[in-house]
Amino acid sequence: MIESILLWTLAIVSAPFFAAVILRVKAFFGGRKGSPLLIHYYTLAKLFKKGSVYSTSTTLIFKLGPLVSLGTAITALLFFPMAGRPPVVSFSGDAIFVFYLLGLGRFFTIAAAMDTASPFEGMGAAREAYFPIICEASMFMVSILFYRLTGELSLSAFFSGNQPAQFWSTAGSPMIFVIIALFIILLTENARVPVDDPATHLELTMIHEVMVLDHSGPDFGLIELGAFSKLFLYSAFIARLICPFDFVHPALDVALFAAAVLLVYIAVGLVESVMARYRMDRVPKFVLTSFALVFFAAVITLEFAK
Amino acid sequence: MNLFFLSMLMIASGGVLPLFLWRQVNLAKMIAVIGIGSGCLLGLFDSLFRLITGPPPGVSFSPPGVFPLSFHLDSLSAFFLVSIFTVSLLAAIYSYHYMNNTEKQIGAAVNFLFFSLLVTSMSLVVTAHNMITFMLAWEMMSLSSFFLVIYDYRNPENRKAGYLYFIFSHVGAMFILAAFAVLYGHTGNFDFAGSTIPDTMKILVFVLGFIGFGSKAGVFPFHVWLPHAHPAAPSHISAVMSGVMIKTGIYGILRLYGILDLQTPASGIIVVIFGMVSGIIGVVYALGQHDIKRLLAYHSVENIGIILIGIGIGMIGVSSGNPVMAVLGFSGGILHVFNHSIFKSLLFMGAGMVFHKTGTRSIDALGGLIKSLKITGITFLIGSMAISGLPPFNGFVSEFFIYMGGFKGIARDPLTFVFCLLAIISLAIIGGLALACFTKVVGVVFQGEPRTPNANRVDEKNGSTMIFSMVVLAAACVGIGIFPAPFLVMALKAVSAIGLDYGRIPIEPFAHMTADISLAAIIFLAIMAILAGIRIRLFRGKPIGHSGTWGCGFTRPTSRMQYTGSSYAASILDFFKPVAPMVVDHPPVAGLFPGPTRYASHVHDVIEMHLERIIVNPVLWLFDKLRWIQHGDIHLYIGYILLAIVILLFFV
Repeated sequence: MIESILLWTLAIVSAPFFAAVILRVKAFFGGRKGSPLLIHYYTLAKLFKKGSVYSTSTTLIFKLGPLVSLGTAITALLFFPMAGRPPVVSFSGDAIFVFYLLGLGRFFTIAAAMDTASPFEGMGAAREAYFPIICEASMFMVSILFYRLTGELSLSAFFSGNQPAQFWSTAGSPMIFVIIALFIILLTENARVPVDDPATHLELTMIHEVMVLDHSGPDFGLIELGAFSKLFLYSAFIARLICPFDFVHPALDVALFAAAVLLVYIAVGLVESVMARYRMDRVPKFVLTSFALVFFAAVITLEFAK
Repeated sequence: MNLFFLSMLMIASGGVLPLFLWRQVNLAKMIAVIGIGSGCLLGLFDSLFRLITGPPPGVSFSPPGVFPLSFHLDSLSAFFLVSIFTVSLLAAIYSYHYMNNTEKQIGAAVNFLFFSLLVTSMSLVVTAHNMITFMLAWEMMSLSSFFLVIYDYRNPENRKAGYLYFIFSHVGAMFILAAFAVLYGHTGNFDFAGSTIPDTMKILVFVLGFIGFGSKAGVFPFHVWLPHAHPAAPSHISAVMSGVMIKTGIYGILRLYGILDLQTPASGIIVVIFGMVSGIIGVVYALGQHDIKRLLAYHSVENIGIILIGIGIGMIGVSSGNPVMAVLGFSGGILHVFNHSIFKSLLFMGAGMVFHKTGTRSIDALGGLIKSLKITGITFLIGSMAISGLPPFNGFVSEFFIYMGGFKGIARDPLTFVFCLLAIISLAIIGGLALACFTKVVGVVFQGEPRTPNANRVDEKNGSTMIFSMVVLAAACVGIGIFPAPFLVMALKAVSAIGLDYGRIPIEPFAHMTADISLAAIIFLAIMAILAGIRIRLFRGKPIGHSGTWGCGFTRPTSRMQYTGSSYAASILDFFKPVAPMVVDHPPVAGLFPGPTRYASHVHDVIEMHLERIIVNPVLWLFDKLRWIQHGDIHLYIGYILLAIVILLFFV
C-alpha cells in the first residue's frame, strides 16, 4: 500500500519532467538547444506564485474546471499499476470507472471554456467534445480484447505483473496494432500533433490551448499539472505493453518502466517533429483508424486465442 | 392492497375537487397539490414497504356479468410504483408555482384532473393482473395524457402534437391488443399466463407486444410522437410523461417477457438491436435540436435505448445460460428506469423554469442563465452530468451494471459475444455523444452571456415549490451516485419478480459492486476536497483581478458572437449525416457590398420525413377507395349491423 502510494506520488511529480522531454526532442530536430528538462517545474512554480484575473462573464464553474480536470486525472492514476506493482485501489470494473472519470474531467474542461462566452473557446470546446467520442469507443474495444484474454476488467488485471507479457504470448503480433491504436488515442486525448498543435499561434486552429485561454495563475497551473498527469496515464498504458517484463524486484521494475515511459514521450516528440497538424475535418478519420486497428486486432486474436 | 387503493382515491380526489373550486385558483391549486401529493406519498411508502416485505395477496373484483378486474402488486410493480410516485409527487409540488397563469383558471383545474387521472392510471397499469384490467388502465393512461398534451390547445402546433400522440398511442394499443388476442387464443382466458404456448407463437406475441409497448416507450422508429408531445405539454407533465409514463412501455415488455418465459435468443437480440439504434440515433437527433424540451425528448429516446440494451443483455444472458450476466443486465436496465425518471424529470423541470422565466425554449436565444437562475442552473448541471452517465452521479451506476453485464457475455459463445461487443461499443458512443449534447445545453443556455433580452433580467422569485422539487431530485442524483447499494437491492428484488426461474437472487455477489462504486466515488470526492483546500491556500493573499473575456485581440465583442448550440453541434452532426440530414437555409454572401443574409439549420428526423410517403399516403389512398361504404343511407347502415351480427353468430 505504502509502495503504491509512493509510486503514485512519484508519477504525478515526474509527469512534468517527462513532458519536457517532448520539447527537447522537438528542439533537437529543429536544430535548437531547447529548454531545460525542468522547465515545467519552473513554469508551475511561477504560476502558483501569481494571482488570477477572471473574466466578468465567468461563474463558479470556471473555477471548478481546473480542479476537476486535475482531480479526475490523478484519481485515474490511482487505479493504474505503476511499473506493474499493485495499484493503490482496484476493483472489478474499475476500467469503466476510469474512462468515465476522465469523461467527467472533459465535461468540466468544456463547461469552463463555455463559461467565458468567447467564440474561440466555444470552437475549441466543440472539438474537444467531438474527437474523444471515437477514442472512447476504441478504449472500450481495447478493454473488450483484454477482457477476452484475461477474464477480468480492471487496469490492475490488464497491466500488472507479467500480464502484459502474457498478452504478447497469447495474442502475438496483433498487439502491435493495439499499441499503435493506443498511441493514436494518446495523441488525440492529450491534444498533441497531428490532432492539435500545442505550440500553434492561431487560436482558430487550436483545441485544448484555446479552451484554457482565460485561465491564469494557479488555476492555469492546476490545468497544466492535470494535462501532464493525463498524458502520463496514457503513456503508462503503452509503456507497460512495449516493455512487458516483470523482474519482481521493485527498483529494477521502476527503472525499466521509467525508461519505457520515456520512450513513449520521445515517440510523441518524434511525431510532433516530423508531422504537421491535420486539417480539422481529417482528424475524425485519423482517430477512427485507432478503432479499426483494435477491432482488427480483436478479430485476429480471437481466432488464435481459442 | 388497501393502502394502495386508498392512495389512488386520495390522488383522484386531489384531481376532482379543484373542478368545483376553480374560481379560487390558489385554493384549488393547493387542494390539488395536497391531494395528489399526499396520495403519492402514501403510495410511495406502501410500495417501498412492499418491496422490502414481499407482495401482498392480489385483489380481484368480479362485477356480475362483466369481465373480472384483477390487481396484483409484486416487487416489479412495486419498483415501478416507487418511480411513479416519486416523480409524480415532486411534479405535483412543482406545478403549484408553475401553473400560475391567472387567465387559465379552469384550464389549471382541468389540468389537475387529468394529471391525477394519469398518475392513477399509470399505477393501475403496473398493478393490473389480467389483460382486460391492463388494457382499461392503459387506455385511461393514453387518453388522460392526450388531454394533458393539448393543454395549450389554442396553439395549432400543440393540437397537431396531440393528434400525433393520439394516433401513435392507439396504433400501439392495437398491437398490444393483437398480442393479447394471440395469447387469449391459445390459453382461453384473460389471465397473464402463456408459458405453455408454442415457441413460434411466443415470438409472434413478443414482437407484437414489443411494437405496441415500444411505441409508448418511444423506441426508434416508433418515437415520432415523442419530440412533438413533450414540448407541447406543461413542464411538470413532460417530467411525468418522460420520466415515468414512457417507462410503462418498458414495464410491459418486461411483464410480457416474464409471462411468455422465452428461452430463444431471438427476443434478446431484437431488444438489444432496437436499444442500440434508439440510443445512438436518439442522442444524435437530440444534438441537432434547437428547442430545449424537444432536445430532452430525444434524450428520452436515447435513454430508453440504454434501458433496452440492459434488458436485452439480460435476455441474452438467460437464453445463453449465464445467470450472472442476466441479472446484471436486467438489474442495470431496471435501475436505469428509476435513475432516468429522476434526472430526466429534473431536467424537464429545469427547462420548464427557463421557459417560465424567459418565455422561450430556443436554446440559441438564451445564455448566461446560471448567473440569474442560480439554483436552477446548478441542479440542471447536476442532472446533465447524471444523464451523461458520469461518476459520481446516478446515471453512471446503472450504466456500470449494464456494462458489467455486457462484459460477462464477452467470454461466451460467438453469438453472445457479437451482440455484447456491439452493445458495449454503442454504450460508449452514446455516453460520448450525450456528454457532447449536454455540454452544449449547459454551455449555451446557462453559461456565457445572454444572447437576447429574453434571457436578461430574470430571477428565481415566486418559484419556491419549483426550486424545492429540483433540489430534491438533484440531491437524489448525487445520493444514488455515491450510495447506490439500497437502490440496487430494490432493482434486484424487481428482477426476481420477472420470473427468470433463478429463485431468490442472492444480493451478496452484487453488493460488493455497489460498495466498489461507493469507495471509488468517495476517494474521488476526497481528492477533490484536498485539491480544493490546496487551491484556497494557493490563492491566499493573492491579487484577484476582473476583466472582460480575452477576445484574441478583438476589443468590441458582443454576446451575439458567442458560439451557438448549432455551431457547437455542427461537426458531430456532419459525421452522422446519413441518419441525420441537415437542411440549411443560408443565401450566400456575394459581391463587394453584400446585403444582409440569414442562416437557419434544421436536422430532419428520417422517420418523420418518410412517414408520410410510406405510411400516411397509402393509408389515405386505401381509405379513399373505401369511402363508398360511408354513403349516409340509414337503411344500408342497419343492413351493416344485421350483417355483422349474423357473421358474429357463425363464429361465436
